[in-house]
Amino acid sequence: MLRTMIRKEWQELTRDGRVRVLAGSILLLLGGALAASAVGVRQARSERSAAEALTRTHWVTQEAKNPHSAAHYGIYAFKPAPVLSLIDNGVDPFAGQLTWLEAHKQNEFKARPAQDALPLARLGALGASTVLQLLVPLLIIVVAFAAFAGERESGTMRQLLALGVAPRTLAMGKALGVSTVLLAVLLPATVLGVLAVVQAEGAGAVAADAPRAVTLGIVYLLFFVVWIAVSLGVSARARTARSALVSLLGVWMVTGLLAPRVASDLSRRMVQAPSAYEFATAIANDFSKGIDGHNPADARAKALEARVLKQYGVDSLSQLPVNFAGIALHAGEAYGDSVYDRRFNELWSAYERQEQVRTGVAVVAPVLAVRALSMGMAGTDVAQYRRFTDAAEQYRRQFVYAMNEDMTQNAGEADFEYKASQALWTKVPPFSYAAPNLGWVLGQQRGALLVLLAWVVVSLGWAVTGVRRLSPL
Amino acid sequence: MLDARGLTKRYDDHVALHPLTLSVPRGEVFCLLGANGAGKTTTINLFLGFTPPSGGVAEVAGVDVQRAPLSARQHLAYIPETVMLYRTLSGMENLRYFTDLAGRPDVTDARLREILLDVGLPGEAADRRVGTYSKGMRQKVGIAIAVAKDAEALLLDEPTSGLDPQAANEFSRLIERLAGRGVAVLMATHDLFRAKESGTRVGIMKHGHLVQTLATADIGHADLERVYLDHMRD
Repeated sequence: MLRTMIRKEWQELTRDGRVRVLAGSILLLLGGALAASAVGVRQARSERSAAEALTRTHWVTQEAKNPHSAAHYGIYAFKPAPVLSLIDNGVDPFAGQLTWLEAHKQNEFKARPAQDALPLARLGALGASTVLQLLVPLLIIVVAFAAFAGERESGTMRQLLALGVAPRTLAMGKALGVSTVLLAVLLPATVLGVLAVVQAEGAGAVAADAPRAVTLGIVYLLFFVVWIAVSLGVSARARTARSALVSLLGVWMVTGLLAPRVASDLSRRMVQAPSAYEFATAIANDFSKGIDGHNPADARAKALEARVLKQYGVDSLSQLPVNFAGIALHAGEAYGDSVYDRRFNELWSAYERQEQVRTGVAVVAPVLAVRALSMGMAGTDVAQYRRFTDAAEQYRRQFVYAMNEDMTQNAGEADFEYKASQALWTKVPPFSYAAPNLGWVLGQQRGALLVLLAWVVVSLGWAVTGVRRLSPL
Repeated sequence: MLDARGLTKRYDDHVALHPLTLSVPRGEVFCLLGANGAGKTTTINLFLGFTPPSGGVAEVAGVDVQRAPLSARQHLAYIPETVMLYRTLSGMENLRYFTDLAGRPDVTDARLREILLDVGLPGEAADRRVGTYSKGMRQKVGIAIAVAKDAEALLLDEPTSGLDPQAANEFSRLIERLAGRGVAVLMATHDLFRAKESGTRVGIMKHGHLVQTLATADIGHADLERVYLDHMRD
């Protein structure tokens, strides 16, 4: 019986020109977004690989120079573009793709595609995730709003129920019919997506990211289940198809367009994060209170000198078995690190609390939970951006420490006249970053996951109670 | 086959159907006559289980409609004033769909085409979209659904309303043929002529009461009209 119902729903819907146009448009947009992303990711990856190789060559082929000068010369760290950023580029366009790692400073990320893009490009920036989060629900509404209300209005429901068809069977048939139309759009899009990833990254990348990709697929499927259930629930209760459509479009606009904006404003209002200027000023202020490893006249440097002389039981710097300038640089770095740790922890903590507020708003707008989970699975959310910046910062500290330590141990009295050879540069391994596993990501996004699951349960319950009360009159 | 015992329907202070006791056996066509609001459609809806009774019992093939509506409907076919079908599907696709949902997927497409021809739907129309059908053609598809379902009882609610005389006559003949096969028919109608022509018995309803029951064999057209109008004038 269900097969008959699915076939009939399919026949009816595919013969409806409005559904054909909308489904075709969404398929076209989804395909276009994936293809454009694939080209962009492939180009970005190629440019990044070339830049990584170049920056490495520049580092290891430096002429002999003072290690601390080499630490200032610095290294670029590039954020790898995750495979699934094809589907959801998350914060990547705004957060930057590379950072310059150098002594004393934790620099901000540069190369932000959103900053580089022409203002008009923003208008046409329709990613696959936007299509999935906003336009596919619209297709579900168009396909499902008349499921029961239309049958009731046209009188066919009387005839169906008079045949002895159980309302729950009718509902199941409707749900599966809507799903089949959806599948007709999403299946080719999924194949296209896999082909785009293979083309951009190679088959190995697809296999490596399969758990995340499958989870991402499940997240979107659950989101579509919510929309199908809400649409059928509204249709079962509405007196007319028109009122069902108006109600569902209202829900779509409020949850899809209004709520994200409200969530964003609310999170910023409830949790204040410092502006870029305030953040930089606070760090500069903190730095002024600590030791300056470059300035021997600095009072704190003088105090350090006294402690080191006492520690080694000598009267002058020339009697030290190690280079004091190196020690002072170590101390300066350690102080700087503590400042950065404190300030960045405050900043990230504010961002995380803002994220919690947004997840809270997802209780009334499931798209917010899906957005968070989608970015998480794609590896482009704030948590993974932070994880990458932490890894880059750890690398910076290790290589700066290695440079300062070499100076401490080997410079003797030459101080900044001391020069290290290329052998030291090659001891510094290239920066590499491994993305976290699925469990870590799910742990970070557990709030959003719970909200989405709650939406699934509540919306299905809403649909079931509506169908139970289904009346032909 | 169709039995009502003290069947009653109230809406707040208004009584739509006063206690009705009625039995329609196999092979009988029972026509309910009455003005709008007399309680004809309410009776049909109570037999369909679309509205719960305020009192009494409606049974189809011995199954209490209120207690087991799905089971009761397995024995029924229903044809409203205008049979509503899916406009974008053909007559044949509609018939296939309703027949399958009626629990008869075993009826072959060839048999369904036979049934459509049998109820008088032109052969070329079977594969045409229903959106292009006249009301008479849709009513015939409704009958075809009942035949394909092999329903034991048929509930008709003003089925010939709006049909031209020839189409109404063809429809009446089809109903008579179904009754001849042992189907119990309960038909609500305004059409005294059709009731007399097709019915085995007629029941006159007024303000929710079944005020008189007559055997059509015992009364002529003119007499039926006179009795009906007498009741309406009271």
